[in-house]
Amino acid sequence: MSVDSPSPAPAPPKKPLYEASTQFKHWRYSQESLADVRSKLNEAAVAVIRQTFEAYEPGSSSNVSFLNANEEHLLVTFYVTRITQLCGHFRFPEEVEATAATYLKRFYLKNTVMDWHPKNVMLTALFLATKTTNNPISLEAYTHNIPNTSPSDVLDLEFLIAQSLGFEFAVWHAHRALWGICLTSALQQLPSIPPDYAKSQSSVYDTALNHVRASRLTDAEFLYTPSQIALAAFSLTAPEIAQQWLESKQTLSESSPTKIGSGVLGSIETIKSIIINAGQRPETEAVREVDRRLRLCKNPEKVVGSKAYLARKAEEEKKAEERRSRKVASTGEGVDPFGDELDQPKPSLVDYDDDDDDD
Amino acid sequence: MDAVERENADRQKRWAKEQKVGEGTYAVVYRGREVATNRKIAIKKIKVGQFKDGLDMSAIREVKYLRELKHQNVIELLDVFSSKTNLNLVLEFLDSDLEMIIKDRSLVFLPADIKSWMAMTFRGLEFCHRNHILHRDLKPNNLLTAADGQLKLADFGLARDFADPGHKMTCQVITRWYRPPELLLNARYYGSAVDIWSVGCIFAELMLRIPYLAGDSDINQLDTIFRALGTPTEQEWPGHTKLPNWHQPSTTYPKTPLRDLFTAASADALNLLGKCLVYEPRKRISALEALKHPYFFAIPFPSHPSKLPKCAAQVAVRAAEDAEQANIDQNSTGPGVRAAEPGSRKRKLNSPEEFRARSIARRLDFAKQANSP
Repeated sequence: MSVDSPSPAPAPPKKPLYEASTQFKHWRYSQESLADVRSKLNEAAVAVIRQTFEAYEPGSSSNVSFLNANEEHLLVTFYVTRITQLCGHFRFPEEVEATAATYLKRFYLKNTVMDWHPKNVMLTALFLATKTTNNPISLEAYTHNIPNTSPSDVLDLEFLIAQSLGFEFAVWHAHRALWGICLTSALQQLPSIPPDYAKSQSSVYDTALNHVRASRLTDAEFLYTPSQIALAAFSLTAPEIAQQWLESKQTLSESSPTKIGSGVLGSIETIKSIIINAGQRPETEAVREVDRRLRLCKNPEKVVGSKAYLARKAEEEKKAEERRSRKVASTGEGVDPFGDELDQPKPSLVDYDDDDDDD
Repeated sequence: MDAVERENADRQKRWAKEQKVGEGTYAVVYRGREVATNRKIAIKKIKVGQFKDGLDMSAIREVKYLRELKHQNVIELLDVFSSKTNLNLVLEFLDSDLEMIIKDRSLVFLPADIKSWMAMTFRGLEFCHRNHILHRDLKPNNLLTAADGQLKLADFGLARDFADPGHKMTCQVITRWYRPPELLLNARYYGSAVDIWSVGCIFAELMLRIPYLAGDSDINQLDTIFRALGTPTEQEWPGHTKLPNWHQPSTTYPKTPLRDLFTAASADALNLLGKCLVYEPRKRISALEALKHPYFFAIPFPSHPSKLPKCAAQVAVRAAEDAEQANIDQNSTGPGVRAAEPGSRKRKLNSPEEFRARSIARRLDFAKQANSP
């Protein structure tokens, strides 16, 4: 095939597909920026909630011990492990589990657990993930299998979650990259590949996959690419093969400008230590403690039945009422309600008259 | 208001809805403008409240893929926001589609025009396939055209990622006339070749100005294909008789050269067409190979997009809109996004599974409930 063909668009230096993804463009952080996002979010949330407390009962916020960013994060991490449990229960594919975990973690880069409890968000994130990965299940079947959960518990948060994700549903996963590494390393004649590698390969994959799963409890996906995380997981399992596989890629890409330098090796080592150190289920006792405090410091406007909640609802109701009366006024008051009716368009499934007050 | 809600409200403010230009069962399309630049846009509002399973699969697929795909020949999703229980997709404004253009008998297509549309279609498709995405609903009315003549793939409500080998997929995809034989035989493992078949059918339709393989039922569709291209032999398509829906046909049709029907086409054009309509999916040409096919390098060269034929209606609308913009006449009722001439035939999916699969009207019917094929 000729190289000088005019199409597809003669992109100058070839950019990896991954770099065109929303994941690469919008969900990549440094350690520092990630910590910064979380602490700012936490500070802002605490300020708002403190104000709410004060507004309804002056002085009531002084003895509330709000959660800090680390505590929020601990709780979210705990609920990532709950996703795993639920996926085991439903026998959802790896893709669903990984996607739901990412959704949950991304959600809490935009929201605080003091507004939205992760146990609820987790359920909706998982349900949404079944759909975005093309493994849909009916809502009824889903909630039927989860105790004390009604369909509306799941649906009520769906929009909020989709919005928080910026409607960016596609996620690139490390377990996919790992599968690729396993397939290609088996095909290549790497010197350290043992003669019976084909046999042991699936156990190498399984062990490495467990490291990838552990990485989901960490921030690795916000800091590194899926392929780097996969290589780190592979390297934790079969360091020599991983090293040679990486070298083989280097020779392949000799001619290209993107040489794999020591930077990658450094990253791999960092990811390995992240997986080893942070890739664990949080201590139940610590989680319980945070959750206990959360009950006291959560946003009262979001606690059904509380004074603040009722006040907010009343406020919303008032606004809606105003809007309705405005609409009535604008459509003409005093017109005979029995007149002109036949000229009205027939009601259709879509009520498009109802749209221009989307505020 | 939460930060996320605020952000949503801010997004919403960036776009102004102007007038409703079309409606389907589950969605409404508005013409609108980007407030900051006055650029024309289309807003597709999908009602979510009525789905008992929440966000609908078609809407999710469309958003998921269009969020990732940015290419000159793929419709651009500019923004997404929600309002109450509606999901609003802000799309670039495209005022026509290839179906309208094909049906406009006043237009004459030069071979260079067809070549240009084909090149843009293959470019858009190659980009999808490069990103491991199957479109699964290519047909002339999903190929939209912009004011500058650029053609864009639209309607990703049936799209999906390539499946892993051994992973089953539904065969109830692609509108019948454009559906490849392997799907008609209920193959559950397939690949990007399904989209190529559709492009082949579109290519033929551009030359004939009528749908090439217009079967009137799913059963009849296969017969229509065999009649046009000859009944496949085991040699040219190994294993096809093992596919789930295979029945030994009562008549065996001979191969007739494409030349017999496509009398005016160049040899290169017929060669490429033939490669898109190869029975054996693995031997069908890929989008990338197609782009390198001699057809695209032979004289006449593809027309410049701005020189391509446009529907008279489309041109008139644009003139009306310009006028409207000048005197701010809000009463203009000119059709906007993809308005079809009344009574146009719609290519519809027919089996009940398909209706279930596409529970929202991703393609909005402007001429409501027209006669289906």
